[in-house]
Amino acid sequence: MLFNSLEYFVFLPLVFFLYWKVLGNKLTGQNILLLVSSYVFYGWWDWRFLLLILASTLVDFYAGQRIGRAIQGSRTAQRWLWVSILFNIGMLGFFKYFNFFIGSFIDSLDVIGYKVQSIWTLNIILPVGISFYTFQTLSYSLDIYRGKVKPTRNFIDFAAFVSFFPQLVAGPIERSSHLLPQIEKPRKFSYNNSADGLKLLLYGLLKKVVIADSLAPIVDDIFTNHLSYSPAILLMGAVFFGFQIYGDFSGYSDMAIGTAKLFGIELRSNFRFPYFSRNIGEFWRRWHISLSTWFRDYLYIPLGGSRVAKPKALRNIFIIFLVSGLWHGANWTFLVWGGIHAFLFVPLFVLGANRKYKGKHLGEGRILPGIRESLAVLVTFIMVSLSWIFFRAESLSAAWNYFKGLFSTWEFPAYLHPQGYRMSDYFILLLVFLTYEYRIRFNERDPFPFKTGTIRFISYALMVFALLLFYDSGTDRSFIYFQF
Amino acid sequence: MERLLIKILFYGALILFILEGLVRVFHLHKGTPERMIDDRGVEKWVPGQSGYIATGNRRQNFAEYRINNFGYNSYREFAPTEDGYEIALIGDSFIEGFHQDYDNSIGKKIEDSLPGVEVYEFGYAGYDLADELHLISAYPELFDKIDQIVIFLQYPDDLLRGSFKISKERLKLQEGTYALLKKSKLLVYLQNIRFLGNMTGKLNSWKSNLFRQGGGEEKRDQNKEQRLGDLTLHNFKSLLTDPGLKTKKISFLVDRKSFPDQFMSYLEKEGISTIDYGEALEFQQTPVTLIYDMHWNDQGRKVIAEELISFIRVHYGILAENGDILKMK
Repeated sequence: MLFNSLEYFVFLPLVFFLYWKVLGNKLTGQNILLLVSSYVFYGWWDWRFLLLILASTLVDFYAGQRIGRAIQGSRTAQRWLWVSILFNIGMLGFFKYFNFFIGSFIDSLDVIGYKVQSIWTLNIILPVGISFYTFQTLSYSLDIYRGKVKPTRNFIDFAAFVSFFPQLVAGPIERSSHLLPQIEKPRKFSYNNSADGLKLLLYGLLKKVVIADSLAPIVDDIFTNHLSYSPAILLMGAVFFGFQIYGDFSGYSDMAIGTAKLFGIELRSNFRFPYFSRNIGEFWRRWHISLSTWFRDYLYIPLGGSRVAKPKALRNIFIIFLVSGLWHGANWTFLVWGGIHAFLFVPLFVLGANRKYKGKHLGEGRILPGIRESLAVLVTFIMVSLSWIFFRAESLSAAWNYFKGLFSTWEFPAYLHPQGYRMSDYFILLLVFLTYEYRIRFNERDPFPFKTGTIRFISYALMVFALLLFYDSGTDRSFIYFQF
Repeated sequence: MERLLIKILFYGALILFILEGLVRVFHLHKGTPERMIDDRGVEKWVPGQSGYIATGNRRQNFAEYRINNFGYNSYREFAPTEDGYEIALIGDSFIEGFHQDYDNSIGKKIEDSLPGVEVYEFGYAGYDLADELHLISAYPELFDKIDQIVIFLQYPDDLLRGSFKISKERLKLQEGTYALLKKSKLLVYLQNIRFLGNMTGKLNSWKSNLFRQGGGEEKRDQNKEQRLGDLTLHNFKSLLTDPGLKTKKISFLVDRKSFPDQFMSYLEKEGISTIDYGEALEFQQTPVTLIYDMHWNDQGRKVIAEELISFIRVHYGILAENGDILKMK
């Protein structure tokens, strides 16, 4: 079920009503409802996916119990942790990476002269959101092993934690230490919380429908026919994809956080205006935060992080970026994308500038940012946009050709929208969107930070109007991150 | 929770009110004129109306219309004379041309290329051959003076009726509940951008899934094309039985490929002229239709006009050396 579908606009109020009006004071009832509605939400794609999530839930619930009962750091605890890791990574590996590794192995044999007919590649459907919930359940076992959380004894609570529908298929990736206690504790209806949730839902929907979906046909066209376009148009395609993926993914995250708020649950932030970053280090503190912090806590720090000798620290940086790239998909393009970011991050790390802007907002205390800050934002944005070419391209050769195209003779021919729409609409749209994002840049959880109610209300109305202006009846676009 | 619900309802109503205003201010709604059936049983637009018709979410197409005294969208009045050379172009929404400024129609393009020729466009969305022939029969004093009649047939669907009967189906769209709903420009706009259509379509599909309505796939009918051919031919013959019509110089503007072979062969056998525009449109480099629907854009209308011009020149005109029409045959 998509957040931007009619089904969801029937489903959500129904669950909301049952949750607060019918089961208002009954915690167990509320959690059972959350679990059932989460399974309905997920099974809406394909009921067979439910078997996987159920298996993951059962294994991690049991492994968690056993790790919790064992002495911390003991062999028994270790054994059960490995059961959880192997099961989750094995499931992810099979459904997401099996064909990739087999295919790459066959290709490498081909390079050294051995022709092998593939009989091993399988016709596997990638279950929606598998990368997200396997990481979530994995963090549960790891946290119990490290003694950070105690295993829950309530299966319903745990199953609701694993499958909590607002963030099940595309995050934010939650930690058991953050989400599970909220599910275990009684929740009270709060008007302010619900109102904030609705505001995030509206803003997220706007990012998805107005920004991401309206740019999608242009991006698809330019990336598909990149060989026939001039450098200026190719650059526009890369920049537009940057906005498309931001609108799509951060829009989803906003809607997830907003929906969770309606049920009295706070999810972690996933995006903090990443395109206002002044260097790559800052970008990664603002982009897909729940994934980067997951890798930081469960991979980078256990490897020694930055508190080891410089060469080892650099190795750790490359590992985390490459694994992060591979997490996105079974394709060399994602690996290269991760590698590019590692190369962009390393100079900052060596110079000690990777934490330079931590906790500081762009243009803080001023209306507009300074020239140096603006230039830093622009350079970072261009670097990120160019790296998106590898993320979006179908293959390495397509990405390489796209890149080469950018450095051919510069011409400025007019670009015609594939469906014939006015292109000026999209440039105006992006300008207005960036200006608005800049205005609200201090708090990603409050997209309407206006003091007067009238201005807030006008903003709601204009956003609904924008939704209609850019609504496309012909497409029911899914979210890009569902494929990961 | 009640407070939240009340606020949602209150804000929701207020937002709808503002949207209604915005749609009106920016003229995003379609704004179709009023319809009527005249005392001779011809359905047309109420004469004397003018305004604009918008298409698309962001007014991607915006065109001015002017309904003349006869009830059709045209820059000119219909006043044929014995001495003049007039062509009647009769058809559905493609000829009606609410997708273009009324003074940039197919007829105007023909007139600009063939000085001395007047083109009367009798276009009305939804017209089929029965409506079109009824119009000709209902106004003999007008069509007797008109020299050539070109009838646009788009699909075999235009021949699904074998006789004319006044239908008030389209008029219902401006009566009762529809008339009330039409007063809200926001609703008209939502209908135009297919927002409402998508919603109702999805609700209907849920309903049919829930109650298992209509299940089972439609059986493949191998003889469907043959039967359609027979039907269109039968209807065509029965519609043209009026002896008055046979004396008129009627030609048909068609895309050959869209019609059954037996129908096209019959026209040829009977010596009825046809103008096939299909290939000319197909081989255009630039798009010939609008963004939102399949109606011809300016380029499409230009191509159709050119096809009609060459047809007129070849079949009815005595050409001067420079290609101008000297005199009509």
